[in-house]
Amino acid sequence: MRAAALILLAVASASAAPVVTGFERFHAAAPTAEGGRLLYNELGCVNCHGGDTGLPAQRGPALATVSQRAQGEWLRKFIADPQSVHPGAVMPQVLTKADERTLVAIEHYLASLGPRTKVKPADIRHVNASRGSGLYHSLGCVACHAPDKAFVPDGGAPKDSEFTHASVPFPDLRAKYSLESLSAFLQDPLKVRPDGRMPRIAMENQDAIDIAGHLLAFEGSDGRVGPWVTPATVDRELAITGRKAVIAARCAACHELPKDAAATPVALGRKEGGCLDSAHAKGPRYALTDAQRSSLKLFLAARDKAADPKLAADLTLQALNCVACHERDGKGGPDGARKAFFEGDHNLGDTGRYPPPLTGVGGKLRPEWLAKVLDGENRVRPYLRTRMPVYGKATDGLARLLGVADARPALKFEGGDDSAGRKLLGTEGGAGCITCHRWGDRPSLGIQGPDISNMAARLQEGWLRDYLINPAGYRPGTLMPSFWPGGKSFNPAILGGDTDRQIAAIFKFAESANGEPEGFPKNRNGEFEIVPKDRPVVQRAFMEDVGVRAILVGFPTGVHLAYDGEKGGPARAWKGRFFDAYLTWFSRFPIFEKPLGAQVVNWPKSSGRFLGYRLDSKGNPTFIAEQAGVRVEETFEGVGEGLRRTVVWKPTPDFAPVIHHPAGLEFAENPGSAAGRRVFTYLWK
Amino acid sequence: MKAVAIALLSAAALGAAPSYDIADILTASTAADTRAKDWKPGQGLALEVSGMDWTADGRLALCIRKGEVWLLDGVLAPRPDKVGFKLFASGLHEPLGLLRDGKDLLVTQRTETTRLRDTDGDGVADEYLTAGAGWNVSGAYHGYAYGPKRDGRGDLWVTLNVDMGDHSDNKAPWRGWGGIIGKDGRFVPMAAGMRSPCGLGTNREGDMFCVDQQGTWIPTTPIYHLRKGAFFLNPEGIASEKLPDSPLRLSAKIPEKRPYPEAVRALPEMRPPAVWMPYNKMGRSGTDLVTCDAGGKFGPFDGQMFVAEFTDAKISRVFMEKVGGEYQGACFPFVGGFASGIVRLTFAPDGSLMVGMTSRGWSSLGTKAYGLQRLRYNGNVPFAIKEMRARPDGFELVFTKPVDRARAADVASYRMSSYTLLYSGAYGSDEILTAPNPVTSAVVAADGLSVRLKVGALRELHIHELHADGVKSEAGEPLDHADAYYTLNRIPQN
Repeated sequence: MRAAALILLAVASASAAPVVTGFERFHAAAPTAEGGRLLYNELGCVNCHGGDTGLPAQRGPALATVSQRAQGEWLRKFIADPQSVHPGAVMPQVLTKADERTLVAIEHYLASLGPRTKVKPADIRHVNASRGSGLYHSLGCVACHAPDKAFVPDGGAPKDSEFTHASVPFPDLRAKYSLESLSAFLQDPLKVRPDGRMPRIAMENQDAIDIAGHLLAFEGSDGRVGPWVTPATVDRELAITGRKAVIAARCAACHELPKDAAATPVALGRKEGGCLDSAHAKGPRYALTDAQRSSLKLFLAARDKAADPKLAADLTLQALNCVACHERDGKGGPDGARKAFFEGDHNLGDTGRYPPPLTGVGGKLRPEWLAKVLDGENRVRPYLRTRMPVYGKATDGLARLLGVADARPALKFEGGDDSAGRKLLGTEGGAGCITCHRWGDRPSLGIQGPDISNMAARLQEGWLRDYLINPAGYRPGTLMPSFWPGGKSFNPAILGGDTDRQIAAIFKFAESANGEPEGFPKNRNGEFEIVPKDRPVVQRAFMEDVGVRAILVGFPTGVHLAYDGEKGGPARAWKGRFFDAYLTWFSRFPIFEKPLGAQVVNWPKSSGRFLGYRLDSKGNPTFIAEQAGVRVEETFEGVGEGLRRTVVWKPTPDFAPVIHHPAGLEFAENPGSAAGRRVFTYLWK
Repeated sequence: MKAVAIALLSAAALGAAPSYDIADILTASTAADTRAKDWKPGQGLALEVSGMDWTADGRLALCIRKGEVWLLDGVLAPRPDKVGFKLFASGLHEPLGLLRDGKDLLVTQRTETTRLRDTDGDGVADEYLTAGAGWNVSGAYHGYAYGPKRDGRGDLWVTLNVDMGDHSDNKAPWRGWGGIIGKDGRFVPMAAGMRSPCGLGTNREGDMFCVDQQGTWIPTTPIYHLRKGAFFLNPEGIASEKLPDSPLRLSAKIPEKRPYPEAVRALPEMRPPAVWMPYNKMGRSGTDLVTCDAGGKFGPFDGQMFVAEFTDAKISRVFMEKVGGEYQGACFPFVGGFASGIVRLTFAPDGSLMVGMTSRGWSSLGTKAYGLQRLRYNGNVPFAIKEMRARPDGFELVFTKPVDRARAADVASYRMSSYTLLYSGAYGSDEILTAPNPVTSAVVAADGLSVRLKVGALRELHIHELHADGVKSEAGEPLDHADAYYTLNRIPQN
């Protein structure tokens, strides 16, 4: 199934048009100069014809290592006609004469650029393609590339109609790569594509191997590794011929090549014909769509006009396909189909799954923070399964550009009472921000929203104020309520209810890094220990190895019982301290409790039907259960160093209750025990 | 006792006298008593109210999340400053509903409904008997159980959340279902497709309703009419339909990612909520509903439902009618400004409304940790849209007071639009397919108490949102709330 999908991609089109997803998604429907500007940059026009698009340079992949990366046969086919083995590739057909001898010569020339000594690739012992498929479909790869039809995300398979924009196409990966060379590429694409059009997602070596195994259609978990890429042994004569062909084709305009293969710029004299003409014989041939051609013409008519910062920023985000994951100004973000592949923390709703919108991001984040986000350093949403990639030098200056494009009126909080901020952030009279937000390494009290301890370093003041007044206006779908709805504070008692002063105080407290908001529990475990003093204490809870209907009874005598309300019988007992009820009583996320004491003993599972319990005047419980339709009552009492168990039923000749005893404990049946009333004493020595 | 707080209604801000005030019975003195570092079990009462009813001798019985049941004396005193608290039962596992049954109290804990009995008359429960059980509990935090509430036939209803988080198992029996407690104490499943069906309650006819909460598969807070064989929205727990006791078997695939009207048409067992409460406009997370039968002592709203809401700590009002044999109706904003996230409502014998609250675990605009407050009507009739009824060609609005005829007859006093929601596994939904509904005529009744609106482009299974900002009372008062949201599942034939 996986192999079939890949083959389908490979044969999609013999003379396909180049695919620039940002163009196809946002500009193809109605040609504009803006769309043309994007294409002029992304198709590499600018690399021969010059000009300043305002966009990060689009460069071809490194050729010095291509012979180690791509199979020779594939490479020759690609050079002869890129669309034949990589439909949708942006590289034009550049050779006018693509005879086999020229292609072999180019192959030798390219091999001559590589390292002199042969590097034996690292030995890959194992590849797990099904794991790789899971990673491919969750780390963010499918935001740009097509998901595999055989992979069904948790929410169900997307419908074809929900794919509303083109995927970035793959070449025939099995013809091009070895497992080793593809996994090396995946682990750091920027080494090969420093222009960042294929960004780097942080991953382990084994992750890259497994993803490559998936893409190359290996079996689920496979010890086989497939053919290596073996570069041609360089023939010097051929290499020289190859270099001439490379110079003639002006490869160096887009690719990094030695000085002796440099390409000279080509003046742009006309706004028609040339590369724009699909039938022209000279120079690179692009199989442009009508929309692409019209857009390029519109752009060329006004090529000298520089892009304003807003346009440059928007087009940069489209060129790098940031908008595959992020919405900006109501456009972009994953389409209906791709949304299914975004996973995260269910408790945070949509904001726990999808990357944040970039609308106004340059006015939201401080530029120095944003630069570190782009560098891969600052990450505040650990719950997103997709990983924000790194684009290398393509994003140099992007933080600054966004800052200019999205600038909002500057606001600087004056003063700011940081002790009020501590209160406002906390749960003791404040807005309770820490109910949902982490604070540094302190988990929040409820759902685990983003860390807000860094807000002063991260956020611009004006944005913070406007956001807190209307969160949903900035993050549609957020679970965050406004505590200053319409600018009116929820709490008139703090700082006179002045919204600006309250928000300034929050900001200042975070900036001061002077402690944490009010309301975080100290280590609460231990503070809610139940200590039975005068009477037995009964508390129902989830308990480990007992189950979800555990009825815990603590006795002042120091031996305690867990009765199983599911199976209708005693389940475990222990000596010493009873248990701590903090998680059962006060956590939103209860867990299975453990006894605090020692010498824990367990009864074999009972098989009665539990009917309830009653408490006598001293607080001792009598549990009622049915065994084979007969009502059996058993009372537990604390005695010195132990428990007394009295089992009572209405005796009949054909019934005796099953009475289990815990392993590893001394017990004795009391004198006077008889049918209808048996008494046992369990002692902890 | 703390000072009696007065809730400022929007009408009050515009000059009309307020109609309701909020009195504190007991709210957290700090906003986080239960989390304060010096708080210890047994010191002070963390009144995280999760269930309420009145005992035979007129005390307010309430259960709290920590697992206790308390009996309160004196909560209806004009100034409730001498309220007595008596512990009746303890050791329960997060009970989220309480109902009096004769002399006994029934509470629903995570794993069972329990009958609490005081057999020796000392005022403290000594029997904790299993009254209903039979649903799976996995240990996931979200596996809450609610109820019981008794319907007009005498059946006791319980509803169950779907699981979320660690230990989740929604394939195990009856998560996301509601049902009744059978004669033998076993859970009898009735209806499926719920997510967090936190609040149960009957109308005057004795039919059982339930309010669920926006989340996965639930585009916004819905109110369901519970009955046998109904499937509502959330399919996460639908696997239980294969069990022998199931009253339901879906006959088509879940129609995912479709506008809600299309989804309903594609799945025959799917029953539309009687009322949708649009997200944010009508709060976020509905938690309880209660029908007013106060004989006018709670204002002019007898027979209507009041719905509690957690995040905004407010109460909304709901009017329902039967069209084509099924309930549908409108919701209206009512009163906000409560101390904490509201979880439970119950009417007192004197016609005031008891409001039980806790905001532990989720955020609420009511920032106190917990509390019990009382909403009282002071006799000033609010000028409100009392009823909104669907007509074949529009709506009929019934007001609490005569309207200013000229304004009410002016179509420019009204603005309407309609929309629906996307049915999908995503968390909530935007309003989609929004379109205007022109108001083409407005005819005021002879008594001035109602207005017939002719409205164009009505669409079945869509929410119709009305803004009647131009309407004023005869005395010139503005409406307490000029917006209303009618869930037009069906357009009446006559």
